[in-house]
Amino acid sequence: MSTPILSAHNLVKHFNAGGFGAARKVVRAVDDVSFELAPGETLGVVGESGCGKSTTARLLVQLLRPDSGSVRYEGKVVGPELPLKAFRSKVQMVFQDSFASLNPRMTMIDAVAFGPTVHGMSQSDATRKAQDLLDRVGLDPSRFGGRYAHELSGGQRQRVNIARALAFDPQVIVLDEAVSALDKSVEAQVLNLLMDLRRERGLTYVFISHDLNVVRHISDRVMVMYLGEVAEIGPAESLYSAPRHPYTEALLAAMPSLDPDRRTMEAPLAGDPPNPIDPPPGCRFHTRCSRAFGPCSTLVPPSHTVGKSHVAACHLNSVKEHVA
Amino acid sequence: MTQETVHAVTPLVRVEDLSVRFAGTPPVHAVNNVSFELAPGEVLGILGESGSGKSVTLKTLLRLLPERKTTITGKVEVDGQDVLALEGRALADRRGGVASMIFQDPSLALDPVYTIGQQIAETVIRHEGISKSDAMARALEMLEVVRIPSAKRRLDNYPHEMSGGMRQRAMIALALACRPKLLLADEPTTALDATVQIQILLLLRDLQKELGMGVIFVTHDIGVAVEVSDRLAVMYAGSFVETGSVKDVIRDARHPYSKGLLAANLVGAVPGTRLDAVPGAPPPLNALPEGCSFAPRCAHAETACGISPLPIWTGGNGRWARCVHASRAGALAAAESTS
Amino acid sequence: MAVTAETVAHLAKIEKSQGYWRSVWTRFLRDKVAVCAGLVAAGLVLMAIFAPWIAPADPLEGSMIKRLSPIGTEGYPLGADELGRDMLSRLIYGARLSLFMGVVPVLIAFAIGAAIGIAAGYLGGWVNTITMRVLDVLYAFPSVLLAIAISGALGAGILNGLLSLTVVFIPPIARVAESVTTSVRKLEYIEAAQASGASSLRIVRDHVLGNVLGPIFVYATSLISVSMILAAGLSFLGLGVSPPNAEWGLMLNTLRNAIYVQPWLAALPGVMIFLTSISFNMLSDGLRSAMDVKQ
Repeated sequence: MSTPILSAHNLVKHFNAGGFGAARKVVRAVDDVSFELAPGETLGVVGESGCGKSTTARLLVQLLRPDSGSVRYEGKVVGPELPLKAFRSKVQMVFQDSFASLNPRMTMIDAVAFGPTVHGMSQSDATRKAQDLLDRVGLDPSRFGGRYAHELSGGQRQRVNIARALAFDPQVIVLDEAVSALDKSVEAQVLNLLMDLRRERGLTYVFISHDLNVVRHISDRVMVMYLGEVAEIGPAESLYSAPRHPYTEALLAAMPSLDPDRRTMEAPLAGDPPNPIDPPPGCRFHTRCSRAFGPCSTLVPPSHTVGKSHVAACHLNSVKEHVA
Repeated sequence: MTQETVHAVTPLVRVEDLSVRFAGTPPVHAVNNVSFELAPGEVLGILGESGSGKSVTLKTLLRLLPERKTTITGKVEVDGQDVLALEGRALADRRGGVASMIFQDPSLALDPVYTIGQQIAETVIRHEGISKSDAMARALEMLEVVRIPSAKRRLDNYPHEMSGGMRQRAMIALALACRPKLLLADEPTTALDATVQIQILLLLRDLQKELGMGVIFVTHDIGVAVEVSDRLAVMYAGSFVETGSVKDVIRDARHPYSKGLLAANLVGAVPGTRLDAVPGAPPPLNALPEGCSFAPRCAHAETACGISPLPIWTGGNGRWARCVHASRAGALAAAESTS
Repeated sequence: MAVTAETVAHLAKIEKSQGYWRSVWTRFLRDKVAVCAGLVAAGLVLMAIFAPWIAPADPLEGSMIKRLSPIGTEGYPLGADELGRDMLSRLIYGARLSLFMGVVPVLIAFAIGAAIGIAAGYLGGWVNTITMRVLDVLYAFPSVLLAIAISGALGAGILNGLLSLTVVFIPPIARVAESVTTSVRKLEYIEAAQASGASSLRIVRDHVLGNVLGPIFVYATSLISVSMILAAGLSFLGLGVSPPNAEWGLMLNTLRNAIYVQPWLAALPGVMIFLTSISFNMLSDGLRSAMDVKQ
């Protein structure tokens, strides 16, 4: 792989969940997460609630400061080696809640133009650019540019949010459940728009979603997270067809089948995902894993390379290595 | 439980020409001329996007809509009773007795200040007038039915002490406590994680078989609808646009909107390729176009689409689609096969 | 990717949507109670401004023979007070000081309190904790007691009354400002602005202020009536405004001995205080609901 455009190195983020001293509770939202993004690729991130997807996204765009670890842009550590403001124009984010992401007192043109003016563009140039971008995301600027957020539908608002991110001419866009709140028919339109923009502008995406179908459709590689850790990461093709972590298998098996003749007959996992406060020792998944054995409850599984750029953190893979 | 003779011919639910309007200027046409039947023990999935009227249709069956602001016309019969004519006590007896409902958000059904056991027992006492200890025994039994682990301990839990999936199970237990003939499910798995969602879906499917109830399951997720339903109705802008068995609708959708939904769910899509997306957005319910509401977004739209009533294509097995294009294609195919 | 000016030259005209304040105004006009309250409040303000032109007589000129004339006396439509001064004129002139004492402390407290609250809310963390705890100490005193204590320490006089009332209103306004700002700060559009690389000052100016000042201001207007009543109370106790100035609270005080002789006359300043405070309260209620943007 050439120099990754964006990479995460051992990111750790814990949140205080109340209590003092010995009774202090810590949410281990993200624990030692590392990955790399090649220019132009799309990395899908999947996992259940509390797995740390959104925290990872906010760490990646530096909206949160990691407790330890670093984010690098083109090999340069953000902060010491690359000024934050320069990084901001390279890496942008689109949030899930399209309404809360837009200032209710700003017209759509002003919302999109805000970013460029922060980076020194004149107001009139920024407005022109915003008109252009609204047009590109499929909103007639003469009709929608002067409107406010509550006057637009969810799909239209999310298009504005995408235009706002594009206004920086970024290289990377982190999409945190960006299409999840939309109706299916509108979601398909926005997915098309994202795929078109990716091709036109050579964008790199981090696409976070709970919808495995959508992630498979748009991603080159997929990262599966469980309780703040990376369970498996690999090419979408091989990860979906031959998952190497029991959790990935379970997630795939839990997808509704869409085939009336082959309905799901058995739930792959019992119970809810455990609380990220006080996660289980060893492999965090062992409490729900049907194939857990000896070392799982005590030893943290190392990352096993199980294929071309395919890595899974599961003890079963070390057994396979030994057998082979 | 009383033994009742079941007439195989009488449908459990019969809805005829149901329309629901909400007061406003102009009024909101939430449900428009919807008709359907549900046989005892059948599962009907109503599939639609937000604002399609699917939840409103469901709530009408229990008359859960705010009375002052709503005008309901048409006929709604549940278990032979005219629901729209029910008043006061009789209506309350229906709710939770013959028919009960589960929601996306369990906090709509569960009271935070009572334990799960108390709530289930309360409902049973209210509807069946049995003693408190019997009711508590029933509550325990129900928690076991919905497969809540260590049910005895969970009886004394308050809703907030349970995880999301457990709360959903508790709500199902509450809804089924009086052995309803009809269960109305309003997106009960939408807020859940995938691995929990499938557990709840399988549980509902099993319970439906065990108890032989009729179920109307409202969802926006085709995958979920396919997992639980026998029959599927696709709803758009307050109208049913297509119904049929799940297999028929999924394999051979006739209405362009159903086709669009399937494409949007990535059925058979090649990863990375552009999706065959339906353009635009649903029309506002207070300004529906004449004729087919989907016409403004439809690739096959023509002048005939703007004229009410729309032609209906019918296939075998209770299958139909309300679409100019589908009915013409159907007629052509029929002509070909006879010649 | 460079955006060229030529490509967008034809797009320059943008249909401006009905602005936020326009829509607030439309919603406000639909609320009949609020409009009535607004008209009454506006009438009172106009009355205060144009007092010298409206008032039939000099509010300070008394007549010993007309002392405590009942309502409806010839030449004294609302009677005369204990020094034989025309009641109607005094009530009209009284609006000047009473409204002044109601509005000005709230405005000053709004400026100071909102600044403190917004800063604390946006910065969060220990800055927030320390600021809010200090304000809590002030807030813990009952407002009447605090106003009396400060006024008492400073002595009588309009300016001292003004100052004490301002101090009383800073903590509640700052608290509201802090909670509104804290809730806005957590919204994604603020995160998006942070991700744009804008400085904190710029984010507060462009994204926070517009969304928090409205609600804080509405809260502040609801304090106007409280301020008026407190001011009247101070005057009543001999603090704040001093005789012979016309001020409703002070008039209530000086007429209290006449309550057995001319009860209706003695109640008139109270009626004015009641009318003013209720109209300002309803006005602020109407504003609050009109500013509530629904998605």
